[in-house]
Amino acid sequence: MYTGEYLQNILNGISIGSVYAIFALGYTLVFSILGIINFAHGAVFTLGAYLTYSLAVGHFGIGGLLADMQVPFRLSFPLSLLLGSLLSGVFGVLIERCAFRPLRLRGADPLLALVSSLGVALVTINVIQYLVGSEIYSFPSEVYGDIRPAFTFQRGDTTIVLRTVQLIIFAVNMTVLVLLRYLISCTRVGKALRAVAENSSTASLLGINVDRFILYTFFLSGFLGGMAGGLVGTSFGIAGPYFGVSYGLKGLAVIVLGGLGSIPGAVLGGMVIGLAEAFVPSDYSAYKEAVAFAYLFTMLLICPRGLLGRATIEKV
Amino acid sequence: MSVIIQADGLCRNFGGLQAVDSVSFSVNEGEIFGLIGPNGAGKTTLFNLITGLTPVSSGSFSYQGRAITGLPPHRIAGQGIARTFQNIRLFKGLSVLENVRISQHACTRTGLFSGILGLPASRREEREVEEKAWEILKLIGLSGRAAELAGNLAYGDQRRLEIGRALALQPKVLLLDEPAAGMNAAEKQSLTGFIREVRELFHVTMLLIEHHVPLVMGLCDRILVLHFGSMIALGDPAAVQQDQAVIEAYLGAE
Amino acid sequence: MEGFLQNYGFLLVTLLQQSLLAFSLYFPLMAGQLSLASPGFYALGGYIAAIMSTAPECTPLREKLGTGIYPLEWLAAGLISGVLALVIGISALRLRGIYLALATIAFVEILRVICLNLEITGGAIGIFDIPQLFAERWSYGLIFGPLLLLTLLFVYRLENSRTGRALKAIREDELAAGAMGIHTTYYKVLAFVIGAVLAGIVGAMSAPFLNTWNARQGTFDASISYLAYVLIGGSRSMWGPLLGAVLLASLPELLRPLKDARLIINGMVLVVASIYLPQGIVGALGRLKRCVVKNTSPMGGER
Repeated sequence: MYTGEYLQNILNGISIGSVYAIFALGYTLVFSILGIINFAHGAVFTLGAYLTYSLAVGHFGIGGLLADMQVPFRLSFPLSLLLGSLLSGVFGVLIERCAFRPLRLRGADPLLALVSSLGVALVTINVIQYLVGSEIYSFPSEVYGDIRPAFTFQRGDTTIVLRTVQLIIFAVNMTVLVLLRYLISCTRVGKALRAVAENSSTASLLGINVDRFILYTFFLSGFLGGMAGGLVGTSFGIAGPYFGVSYGLKGLAVIVLGGLGSIPGAVLGGMVIGLAEAFVPSDYSAYKEAVAFAYLFTMLLICPRGLLGRATIEKV
Repeated sequence: MSVIIQADGLCRNFGGLQAVDSVSFSVNEGEIFGLIGPNGAGKTTLFNLITGLTPVSSGSFSYQGRAITGLPPHRIAGQGIARTFQNIRLFKGLSVLENVRISQHACTRTGLFSGILGLPASRREEREVEEKAWEILKLIGLSGRAAELAGNLAYGDQRRLEIGRALALQPKVLLLDEPAAGMNAAEKQSLTGFIREVRELFHVTMLLIEHHVPLVMGLCDRILVLHFGSMIALGDPAAVQQDQAVIEAYLGAE
Repeated sequence: MEGFLQNYGFLLVTLLQQSLLAFSLYFPLMAGQLSLASPGFYALGGYIAAIMSTAPECTPLREKLGTGIYPLEWLAAGLISGVLALVIGISALRLRGIYLALATIAFVEILRVICLNLEITGGAIGIFDIPQLFAERWSYGLIFGPLLLLTLLFVYRLENSRTGRALKAIREDELAAGAMGIHTTYYKVLAFVIGAVLAGIVGAMSAPFLNTWNARQGTFDASISYLAYVLIGGSRSMWGPLLGAVLLASLPELLRPLKDARLIINGMVLVVASIYLPQGIVGALGRLKRCVVKNTSPMGGER
């Protein structure tokens, strides 16, 4: 492999890995608090992608109820992404209210939370499909305004392309990571969240409003999921409402690889899988979709705790 | 009197916490062996080490002269060490009868297919399991509520059922983790009688964790006192009661 | 009768087939283990049957055995699925909790991508023109029906046997089950393998029934459907998967006029059912029956 090609792969890998990381952070936050996997997270991803699209581009395709409709305003891309993610966060809160809270209050079997979140995912994705149809949407390059859509470098014989959106993704990832890190280790909210994650009944005895912090977590998780969706949408286009599901499944691979419930683990897992996918030789590119799952599987075999997870000790 | 359980330098630490710190003791066959100590002294952890639920950090123990350190819980139970849990872990969604049937698992052999096909051997075994289960329910006084869900029983009955479930395993050693917790004085009194009766009927050796001092003193042949994971005394009830270290551990050093 | 079978034969056979697939998920669930692997083994079984029925390499075998090739296909599918399940199960079931579900999701996805790309599985197009076992669609009920009866009988006997008790104990409290002498990993793997063998056989029977076989047969969506059958029917009774599969699999037929909204309603049913029917329909019926019995019995209430 030429160095140029090598560099290009690393660039692409880090970029897609960053998206996986942002997405997986949302998964892992909920898991660390509730010990439950939110299967509707992939649907939030889809929602974020379409919301960002409608705010930034604003016209809809030929299928679906909204066919040929126009949104009467346009926002700049960063604003659309932010607003889209915020709305996804609100949707995350809604998911918690509909699918998790009723079950949690009754102390129901965790399997049921899985099914109800799958149900929410099914409803969300199909409502979206009903509204916007199932064709591919891609962002026109004008959304970036005056910024160039890509930068190129010459290295030997190969041209390395650095797309603007890749830069944005990387920058967003870093910002999110730093902010999240700060939120969790330095603020009162973060301390309360950690207390709830450790033991929710003790936390509530200490006067922490557990329900409210669970809502915060779902908001944050939805925000991150929606943002990942918006970023992937701009980077690769939106391949129909179901594309969130495949990212949702891949996100599971990421969090297991990094360690269920571990925040740095989610980031590391995302990077590893992003890079692994980028380095799949082009002859085998059809197998790229299976890479994440192969990693998931191998990780479960060798070290189910994941790269950065901690062992859990069950109280007897 | 022969030794049935022998522990040598058992250690277990969780992170930096030394939950059990080089504890050595031996339990004689037929004895009721008490384990006492303040909260967090490592009593339950010691039970978990013996039953294989928690792996030991170092040290070893043997049962009837065979080393059983590191065996998985079901193998240890299968060799005749049964236990109850501090926070009652019955199969709550199953009937009382089913609870005492299940724990006869290790002393029966019917496999998947002979069970499905109802081969003569499996039918015979099934009858024996049934009989044994009723026998135990009578002993613990729950035969009238055999069909009820275990989770619906009153607290005291759940404690008795848990002991019954452990007995159905036909154990040689029975580990009781705070069997009197949450019981009133009368219930404690009847529990003491019940434990004695069980020993007579089943010739079983018992290890007993208990906070209620009169109960322990009345029942146990010997007592081991743990404090912050370490052994501070071992001996008969009278000796332990007089022990300076024990008094300090319980009352706080002056 | 003839006309009825012509019109509804396909639906009836589909209901039988879906019930069987629900049971393939019910077995691991008996031991409290969530497996989403059934569509994977179903797809695998179908490919095995389709390949044995169409591949030129198998022509001499087909000529020699005639229709005897079909039972051989079922056997091969069951066997291969079982062995594969053993390998996956042993590695994933040492762990407690959600790990089996995650490992099985990975398995279904890996298998799907592989089948999309291999030549022997026909790539994205799949395998078509699979020779038929029967001339009529409804006649497939003659193989699915007995298999379902056999499965029901198997489950009934299992629930009242030593093995079934061990599975239930693990579902209730895995740690306590281990402390009561039950080899938890062994029984979890056993239940998982039984489910996989069943799904493999159903797949092998379905390949001729559906005529074509491709990678869309084994997807994550199908996993969710089967899970919904079992949980909405009731995961604690052998009648649950049957009832759930029959109700939910005929739902699309009943909702056919709604077309696009079908999946939306399906999703809502999942949410509502998991909140309001935590024990499934069978569990709710059981509670209702107990209530009625209590209120009408001479001992209860003042009369």
